[in-house]
Amino acid sequence: MISPSSPSGARRRALLFWAFFAAGAVVLALAPLALNNYWLRVLTTVFMYATVTQGLNVIVGLTGYHAFGNAVFFGFGAYACGVAMTLGAPFPVALVAAVAFSALVAGIVGWPILRLRGHYFAIATVALNLAAIQLVIQVGGVTGGAEGLPLPLSDLPPGPLYRAIYLVMLAGMVVSTLLVAFILIRPFGYALRAIRDGERAAGVMGIDTTATKVAAWAISAGITGFAGGVWAYWITFIEPASAFDPAIGVKAYMMLILGGMGTVIGPVLGAFVLEFLSTLVWGGFLQAHQIVFGVLIVVICLVAPNGMLVAGRSLIQRWRSRHGAA
Amino acid sequence: MLWQATANGLLLGGLYGIATIGFSMVWGVMGVINLAHTGFIMLGAYITYGLFRFAGLDPIASIPVSMIAMFALGYALQVLVLNRIIRTSLLLSLVVTFGIELVMVDAVSIAFTSDVRSVNSSYAASSIEVFGILVPVVRLIAAGFSVTLGIAFFAFLRFTRAGQMILATALDREVSSLMGINPERIYALTAGAGAALAGATGSLASMLFPVMPGMGVTFLSAVFVITVLGGIGSVEGCIVAGFIYGLVQAWAGYFLGANYQEIVGFGLFLLVLALRPQGLFGRAFFGEHA
Repeated sequence: MISPSSPSGARRRALLFWAFFAAGAVVLALAPLALNNYWLRVLTTVFMYATVTQGLNVIVGLTGYHAFGNAVFFGFGAYACGVAMTLGAPFPVALVAAVAFSALVAGIVGWPILRLRGHYFAIATVALNLAAIQLVIQVGGVTGGAEGLPLPLSDLPPGPLYRAIYLVMLAGMVVSTLLVAFILIRPFGYALRAIRDGERAAGVMGIDTTATKVAAWAISAGITGFAGGVWAYWITFIEPASAFDPAIGVKAYMMLILGGMGTVIGPVLGAFVLEFLSTLVWGGFLQAHQIVFGVLIVVICLVAPNGMLVAGRSLIQRWRSRHGAA
Repeated sequence: MLWQATANGLLLGGLYGIATIGFSMVWGVMGVINLAHTGFIMLGAYITYGLFRFAGLDPIASIPVSMIAMFALGYALQVLVLNRIIRTSLLLSLVVTFGIELVMVDAVSIAFTSDVRSVNSSYAASSIEVFGILVPVVRLIAAGFSVTLGIAFFAFLRFTRAGQMILATALDREVSSLMGINPERIYALTAGAGAALAGATGSLASMLFPVMPGMGVTFLSAVFVITVLGGIGSVEGCIVAGFIYGLVQAWAGYFLGANYQEIVGFGLFLLVLALRPQGLFGRAFFGEHA
């Protein structure tokens, strides 16, 4: 048997992983043929959160900057898409606008904010999220302000439209995951992890830390903005409070913790587990689903602060040692 | 009119100051960003509303009740949840306290529905005129109580044994435990005291603002800005920064129009972090290294 640390073993494991990943993507891409509308919607939501979480992974997991209010880019993406479509742009163009606008905002705001560290950065992003809600209301005009923004309806009938949105969200999840995997093997990815593990040391080694961090946040924002743009087209009506809902960012954060920070597939696993869990649980607690979500957050942080794989492994170890001793 | 706006801003500033002290202390002492703090404010307001509505108790008289209740809740949450979270990662505290806040807001929404309630004391409508400026009595009371409570908490930290223990733990956790202080108990005490101050804020706020499940969150950006402006963990900084924030908001409302609150707050926040990141009265507390 080949030990996991040997290079050929690692390569074989990576190959196996990507084979599974490709097979999973193909199965999910063909799934709409067999799924009813309910499961189509649940899976579309899972893909959306997986994409948002993958975006969060770039800045939190890889760079170590806890962008707690990252949902702000979900809102900017939704609004960029909505405004572009109201002005007459077709959906694909509007989606490009959503990604570009979100990345641009992160690039501009990132220069001052990314100088902050730890808690300061975290609450600066929360403050940014709160400010964005009021900004959209104040701008009014083409954004619809406080009254919200209805998006132009598609020519497609509902069935094919929802299947198309399913596929676009799936593509978002797959592409963002591939992007994270690609970043990890590039010098850029090593620079990000160097910043995460010791920013001053990274600077000494010749990494332009500010530019690298800003680039990472722009990528993170672009991925998040993509999900927001597709979401806006999906639900056809957006308003500041729902598009910039901080709970979106927090949910993604939970998925990231659950799946494992800084890993390639962790955000996807976390999104699947948490979203299926909440779909199952919420069916029974329609009145109190915020309470259930809140309790779930606390329990996950207490039981699995380093992700479910680590928690599971230590659980198995404890079980084994107890039974070994007996 | 500008003077009227200034007076209103200063009166509200006192309340903003007391709203922030607990949050700032918890951050300064143990490095936890307590997003549930605004939930304590909301619960304090509902306690005052409940006692006023069902027992006919004067809002001011209910302040001790909400302080004691929130102290117990803050203490219990710290012992049961947050002390365990702190052992793994401080940044997890953001997520956990957000979850606790969700539970509180939803529980209140179910118990009281999300209808807007109000506490109308006998003196709610009266006001005093000073140099042509109308000063509503409730706002004056709220500001007066806020400053008094702030000074009392300051004195508690400086002149009591428990307060000294909190400050010692904030300055150096390891050395304070060498001196026989149990940090986790001090953390629970700090969290309880912070929650009690938030409860008092809620009782005072219930006289000025409509009482509803989402009312706490309206304090969130004020709390962030004042914490950073005053210097993390500084009681006197919170009071002074509260007044500054109240003034800036009032003037922004006067010159720019209403509803610019969050945007102006965010601008102020960035400005402080760029020009004086340690705040007006900031010191090197334990929480700052996190």
